[in-house]
Amino acid sequence: MYNLILRDLYLALYSSANFFYTSSFFILILVLLPFIFGTSIDQLQLLFKGTLWIGLSLSIILTMERIFNTDYEDGNLDIILQKNSSLEIIVISKYISHWLVYCLPLFIILPLLSLLFYLNTSDVFAIFLNLLLGSFGMIFIATFVSALTLAAKRTIFLKAIIMIPLFVPFVIFGSGDNSWLILLALSMLSFVVSIYVSTYGLRLYGES
Amino acid sequence: MYFRVTKNHINAIKAANPYLILSTVTAFVIGLYYALIQSPPDYIQGDSMRIMYIHVPSAWFALMCYTILAGSSVLWFITRNPTFNLVARSIAQIGMMFTVLSLVTGSIWGKPTWGVWWVWDARLTSMLLLFFLYLAYIFLWQAIANKDIASKISAALAIIGFINIPIIKFSVDWWNTLHQPASISKLSAPSIDVSMMLPLSIMTLASLLFLITVFFIRFRIEVLDNKILRAGDEI
Amino acid sequence: MKELRIEDLNCYRGSHLVLKRLNFSINSGETLLVRGDNGSGKTTLLRVLSNYIRSYEGNIYFNELKIKEDKNYKNKFTFIGQKNSLKDNLSVKKNLKLWEFLYNRKILPIEILSEFNLSQLIDDDVSSLSDGQRKCISIQKLRFSESILWFLDEPFVFLDEKNSKILMKKIEDFNKNNGIVIVTTNIDLGLKFQKEINLNV
Repeated sequence: MYNLILRDLYLALYSSANFFYTSSFFILILVLLPFIFGTSIDQLQLLFKGTLWIGLSLSIILTMERIFNTDYEDGNLDIILQKNSSLEIIVISKYISHWLVYCLPLFIILPLLSLLFYLNTSDVFAIFLNLLLGSFGMIFIATFVSALTLAAKRTIFLKAIIMIPLFVPFVIFGSGDNSWLILLALSMLSFVVSIYVSTYGLRLYGES
Repeated sequence: MYFRVTKNHINAIKAANPYLILSTVTAFVIGLYYALIQSPPDYIQGDSMRIMYIHVPSAWFALMCYTILAGSSVLWFITRNPTFNLVARSIAQIGMMFTVLSLVTGSIWGKPTWGVWWVWDARLTSMLLLFFLYLAYIFLWQAIANKDIASKISAALAIIGFINIPIIKFSVDWWNTLHQPASISKLSAPSIDVSMMLPLSIMTLASLLFLITVFFIRFRIEVLDNKILRAGDEI
Repeated sequence: MKELRIEDLNCYRGSHLVLKRLNFSINSGETLLVRGDNGSGKTTLLRVLSNYIRSYEGNIYFNELKIKEDKNYKNKFTFIGQKNSLKDNLSVKKNLKLWEFLYNRKILPIEILSEFNLSQLIDDDVSSLSDGQRKCISIQKLRFSESILWFLDEPFVFLDEKNSKILMKKIEDFNKNNGIVIVTTNIDLGLKFQKEINLNV
C-alpha cells in the first residue's frame, strides 16, 4: 500500500506540472468571476463559494482518468493487480494518492484565494471545512466511476454525465452553511459504495 | 433451472403484437375523447390543465421504468439469468422517452400556469437528473465493446443511480426550503375532481398499454440481437 | 521437479468459446511455444494462467496446487503483455524508478538497460523510442521479480535479429535454471522450443 501511494506520488512529481496545473486551474476559474460579474464585493463573495465547488467538480472530472484508466491503458494496472494482496488496498491507496496530488493543492491556495475575494477568517474556515469533507466523497465517486469505466476508452464526457448527478448532493450541501455533518455523512456513504463498486470494477477488468 | 426465453415465447410476443397495438390505439382514442371533449375544463386553469392527462401518466411511468430497470439489474446480479439483463435494457429507452415526455409536457403546462417554462423545484430537478441517469445507462452500454462486461457495468450503474435518486430528491428538497420557500405551496399537488379521475385512469391505462407494446417489441429485438435463446431454438 | 498442468480448459469470452478443451503440461526447464492466428486465444490463455481471468471451466495446477486457490501463486510468475507498462511522457530512468515501487525491488537502471545495449537511452523520453526499444525495456520487467514462470505474449514482435537472439539466450538460461516459459507467436519464426501447441484447430 505504502509503495503504491509512493509510486503515484512520484508519478505526479515526475510530471511535476501536475501540482501547478490544478492550482492554476482554480485560480483561473475564479479570475473569470470579476470579468463576468463585475467587481462588486458582495456579489463576488456570494459567487466565490459556488465557483469553488464548480472548480472542484471540474478538476476531479478532468483528472479522474488518471486514477485507473491511464494505468489500465499502458499496462501498469496488470502489475498493480498482481503485486498487491487485495483489491481494497489498491483502491484505498488510489484514494489517498489522488487526493494528495489533485485536491491538496486547492486547500493550500484556498486561504490565499479568499484574500482576493475579501473573505474573513471564520467564513474561510467554514468553506474550507465543507470543501474538505466534500472533496473526499467526490474522490470516492470519481474512483469507482474510473474503475467501472475501464473498458470505455476516451469517453470523458460520458464519465462526466455519470458523475455530475452523483456530485449534486455534495454541491447542494457544500454551498450551504453549517452542513459539514451532512457532507461527512455523504462522504462516508459514498466510501461504502465506492470501495465495493471499485473492487467489482477491477475484478471485471481482468476479464476484458 | 431458471426461466429462459425460448422460441415459443418470442413467437407468442410476435403474435400478440398487432393486438397490443390495436388495444393501445383504442385506449388512446377513448382516453383522448374523455380528456379533451367529455371532461369539464378546470375551474382555475381552464383548458390548459388537460395536458395533465399525458403529463401525469408519463411521470409515473418514467419512475416505474427506472424501478423496473434497477430491480431487474439487481435480480440479474443475484440470479445471473440473462433474461433480466435484456428486460433492463429494453425498458431503459422507454423510460427515457417517458421522462422526456413528462419534462416537455410539464414545461408546456408550466408556461400558462406559473408563467414560466421551468421552475427549480425538487420534483422537476430530480426528473431532469433522472433523464441523465437513463442517458448514462444507455450510452455506457454502447461505449463498451465487450458486451458481456458492458451489461455488468451498466447494471451496476443502474443500481447506483437508484440509490442516488432519493438522495438527490432529499437534498434538492432541503435546498428548496433554503432558497425559495414560496414556490413549494404553488406546486403542491391539487386534489383531483371525480370528473377528471375517469379520463386520467383511461389515459394511464393507455400509456401502460403503450409501454407494454413498445417493451415487447424492444425485448424481442434484444433477444434476437443477443442470441440468448437455448441452442436448438432456431427462429 | 515442478509442473504446470492444464486439464480440460474451456474459456468463454462473451458467448464465444475461445479456448476449447485445452490440455497440456510443462515441466521445469521447458519452454512451450503457443501458436495461433489473431484472435485464437493466445493472450486469453496467458491471462488465464496469470489469474487475471478467473471465470473458466477446467483446472490449472502448478506444483499440484490449483492456481486459483494458491495464495503465493502471484509471486511465482511474471506476465509480459503486449502493453509496455511505460509512461510515454517520462524518461526511461523515471519509468524504471516507478517500476521499482510497483515491484518493491531496487535494481540499477544501467544493469537493466545494458542487457539489450540500450544504456545510452537512459535519459530519453519513452515517446522518442522506437517500438522495438520499448519492447526490450518492457521485457526487462522479468528482472524485477524472482519468478519461476514466465508468460511472454508476443515477445519477438518489433525485435530485430540481434535482440531476438539476446531474448532467446535469456529464455535458454532461464530454462537451465529450471524456469518454465510460455511464449506466444502468430508467425513462424523458425524458433525451436521443447514443446509446441497450436490453437488453430
